[in-house]
Amino acid sequence: MDNVEETQVADDILSEIIGKPTGTTVVTVERGQLALFAKAVKDENPVTRDLSAASEAGLPGIPAPPTYPFVMGNFGVYPELQSEDAPSANPMAAVLGPLMAKGGLILHGEQEFTYHRPVFAGDVLVGEGKVVDAYQKESKGKTMTFVVVETAWSDQSSGDPVCTSRMNIIHRV
Amino acid sequence: MGEQVLYFEDVADGDEAPVRSLVLSRTDLVVYAGASGDYNPMHHDEVKAKAAGQPSVFGHGMFSMGFLGSAITDFVGEGNVRRFQVRFARQTWPDEDLRTRIVVTGKRVEGDDHLVDLDVRLHNVEGEEKVVGEATAVVPSRT
Repeated sequence: MDNVEETQVADDILSEIIGKPTGTTVVTVERGQLALFAKAVKDENPVTRDLSAASEAGLPGIPAPPTYPFVMGNFGVYPELQSEDAPSANPMAAVLGPLMAKGGLILHGEQEFTYHRPVFAGDVLVGEGKVVDAYQKESKGKTMTFVVVETAWSDQSSGDPVCTSRMNIIHRV
Repeated sequence: MGEQVLYFEDVADGDEAPVRSLVLSRTDLVVYAGASGDYNPMHHDEVKAKAAGQPSVFGHGMFSMGFLGSAITDFVGEGNVRRFQVRFARQTWPDEDLRTRIVVTGKRVEGDDHLVDLDVRLHNVEGEEKVVGEATAVVPSRT
């Protein structure tokens, strides 16, 4: 059996996950974590460390570097703040799990952020993820599987949108 | 020390932001792993990376995007980015000499917002592109 057949996913399995939620997360954005992240991405702007520098720049708080929304779900996710009806199954796993069992690599193909306002230290944000696309493409006789997940972050107290993160994941043999 | 302010009137098509450069170290990747919560061993565990057929550990794509993001906010000001999109073209490797390249591709006014469009890239000193994308920032106007 060649690679193409081994890695083909039935169209209905792909289309079935489109629109499915990947989970809801409530995140507390913490200043210490922002400072560590700013240092890690070599963001040397004093406004990411110093509240008076931020205020001089006209910012209402310590802002997060632009790619922080990608990782903020890894920190400050306190159990007592999570909603009880958060979905537990990840629909991405339904497609990518069986593919990974046959080998290959999962790659981060593309990433996009749209910001309605900056993320600030002290924010409590709600992230709601969903699969927005899933498809396969043939390339050089091999099947590549694409899954696109969008996470919409909003301010928990006002409900106002803050940032949308769109991640394109590729499985390649 | 306050940050440098970029005004809409002072920007023209083809302008380039100051280049940020970095010789990528394994320590950079370990620091990013901890600060991002991404503990994929391919980025910090040389033994596992080699066992998986890689020549060494390699950089997180999001580290590349994050470093490029720092060069963007250095130019347009923290908190001013409205959109930032990239495609991850190639892996980055320890000891590579990485450079940002940010070029103004357009200016426009939408409602009250003064917007600047940017072509944003991260490449190594040999010119091999690692991350290719675009960004839009809202900047203050003098008027």
